[in-house]
Amino acid sequence: MLDINKIRKDFKILSDEKAPIYFDNACMSLKPNTVVNAMNTYYYEFPACAGRSAHKMGDKVTKKIKETRTLIAKFINADSQKEIIFTRNTTEGINLLANSFPFKSGDIVLVSDKEHNSNLVPWLRLKEKAGIILKIIPGNNDNTFNLENFKEQVIGAKFVSIGHTSNLDGVTNPAKEIIEIAHKNGVLVHLDAAQSIAHQKIDVRDLDVDFLSFSGHKMLGPSGTGIFYGKQKLLEDLAPFMVGGDTVESTTYESYKMLEVPEKFEAGLQDYAGIIGLGEAVKYLDQLSFKEISEHEIKLNTYITEELRKFPKVKIIGPTDPVLRGGIINFYIENTDMHKFAIILDEMAGIAIRSGQHCVHSWFHSKKIYNSARVSVYFYNTMEEAEIFISNFTKILKII
Amino acid sequence: MACLIGLIIFGIMGIFSASHRALAKEAFDCVFRRITLRPCNSGFKEKIKGKILSRLINKSPFTARMVNRHYEILSWIFFILMVGSTVWVLRGGYNFYVYGSCNGLNASGFCAFDPNGDNNKISSVNGDSSTCGIVQKSEKTVTLKNIDLSSFPAKNIGSKDTVVFIGCYDCDYSRKAYPDIQKLVAKKDANYIFAHYPAKGNITDKLAYAGYCIYKNDGDKFWDWNTYLFATDKNYILDPVNLDTMLQKFNFDVKKTEECIASPETKKAVDSQVIELNKTNIYGTPTIFINQKAFVGPKPYRVYRSAINKFIFF
Ligand SMILES: Cc1ncc(COP(=O)(O)O)c(C=O)c1O
Repeated sequence: MLDINKIRKDFKILSDEKAPIYFDNACMSLKPNTVVNAMNTYYYEFPACAGRSAHKMGDKVTKKIKETRTLIAKFINADSQKEIIFTRNTTEGINLLANSFPFKSGDIVLVSDKEHNSNLVPWLRLKEKAGIILKIIPGNNDNTFNLENFKEQVIGAKFVSIGHTSNLDGVTNPAKEIIEIAHKNGVLVHLDAAQSIAHQKIDVRDLDVDFLSFSGHKMLGPSGTGIFYGKQKLLEDLAPFMVGGDTVESTTYESYKMLEVPEKFEAGLQDYAGIIGLGEAVKYLDQLSFKEISEHEIKLNTYITEELRKFPKVKIIGPTDPVLRGGIINFYIENTDMHKFAIILDEMAGIAIRSGQHCVHSWFHSKKIYNSARVSVYFYNTMEEAEIFISNFTKILKII
Repeated sequence: MACLIGLIIFGIMGIFSASHRALAKEAFDCVFRRITLRPCNSGFKEKIKGKILSRLINKSPFTARMVNRHYEILSWIFFILMVGSTVWVLRGGYNFYVYGSCNGLNASGFCAFDPNGDNNKISSVNGDSSTCGIVQKSEKTVTLKNIDLSSFPAKNIGSKDTVVFIGCYDCDYSRKAYPDIQKLVAKKDANYIFAHYPAKGNITDKLAYAGYCIYKNDGDKFWDWNTYLFATDKNYILDPVNLDTMLQKFNFDVKKTEECIASPETKKAVDSQVIELNKTNIYGTPTIFINQKAFVGPKPYRVYRSAINKFIFF
């Protein structure tokens, strides 16, 4: 059982008497003190470059970065730490892939019908730039993944890039089946794990996924940190799209010799403090149980869902069963601008929820829904917070 | 509409606080987008509405519902009220600068910039010699038209501007205004006519006669004498035993002046001067005419200066 009270003490912002009710975890998680402290220690004690300098401080940074890479490799059960590339976020990972993979004109890339813009725009651009064919896999009516549609479309495709867990409705797609089917058809798969990495165990070897991207800031890590994973032999074949310092072994005026993976993808000085902080975030998550995290999220989701259901005009996006929606409750009221709710909840009770189209504009446009309000919970949120949310939401609903 | 109101309100509040400055910037962005026919993307309207509703929701859900429902109309009402009150404040500010009262020339209604109404206090000439306060009356009927001022002391004759000071030696507000009028006349070389009006009855008669005689006998020496009377303690100047000493101080011929003061012609002349002044419909002292415009009560110096300047400031 998660000891929420103890856990909350690990987060400075939550140990405050006037702690906000933070329900925007799908956008950005809060950071435990250990993460912030580790970053401060870097800045205060050894704020140097990794890999370049021969001095003790430089050595220490190099060691810490390597440690983090290994930690992350273990965290997702990668074969080797060489498969871990530091990025700024999920978006950068996907862009790295889209721009480095040898796509040719006419190659078919498949995405789902509710991808985050970060897993849609790079492909739309590639359609313009390289002439790929982008196909959208239609989902079921309740927004869950339609494997049958996928099976049909994957034939003849070159690549699949799919969101693991959707930030729209919290639904986790059957990644293992998707990958298996794709591989049977000789198709490579990239998983956008931005929303899943912090909520469920991801085992890249078990999934047999080819590429995976996620953001550190959604998994207790510092903002502006991310990971791009790829199977080593696939990464070796990719030509980096960003080059420069730290990506090459040597240069002449006429030529350059690239470094091996992962360095060849990490151009320029990195966010060392961020990476070190991310390492601490992984350590923090590692000592928790994903099973317990998930149970807790579903408990809160079930309560909120049941309460919202009492108002027929409130429509929840995604499947009815909260168990399928993890920690996300995304809802709307027809012909109502949901920003109103977010603003008033924040002003009334310091409740932070997200409103808008959540970077899934394409889905909203296709469904002709103006916008929605999204509650996304995490392990440090409490039932009491959920009750406060419902009580304030009810008040607002009465005046809107 | 909310953007526009926000821009004005937060623009003003932003002068004092950084957080309001940020809101003002958002409002500006929103207004600018509206002007350029683009949708307001700052969500500013919703933000402000949300702030208002969140304050109301626990106090009165009914009011919150009404505000939510009629937000646009309420915004318009507030906007119109705000424009109205802004115009009102600007007008008040202008009036205060130019006339010394927010409500216009000689208007003695409440003015926030002059809460005690000091700029409109007068010594009433309605016969009640004790009245020294605000008297509501219109200056519009107060006029110099068809008034013969030729018998009153005058200087700088022929100047383009004319200042007529009607005041009494015994009246505090006349005494307050007098130095400013002296300053104005000196600065502008204005044609200046001084008229003594016994606002508080015949207690000042003797000094009025003395003034008449001095101007008749000694011409321009009158002005220093007059200034002395306005600047010296009024109990002293009003006490008849001090008259000779004062006359001596200015080297006037005491005997000749005393005889003139006592002569019935002088009384007749001064009485007819008062009759002439009454024709102006004067209702209090000081009344100062600057190029025919009547200023009743002691105004700040800038009011007199603005009246004589061609373009208020210069
Ligand atoms: C499913 C999904 N993919 C991609 C992203 C993009 O993440 P980032 O902005 O960290 O690159 C997000 C962020 O919300 C997301 O939810």
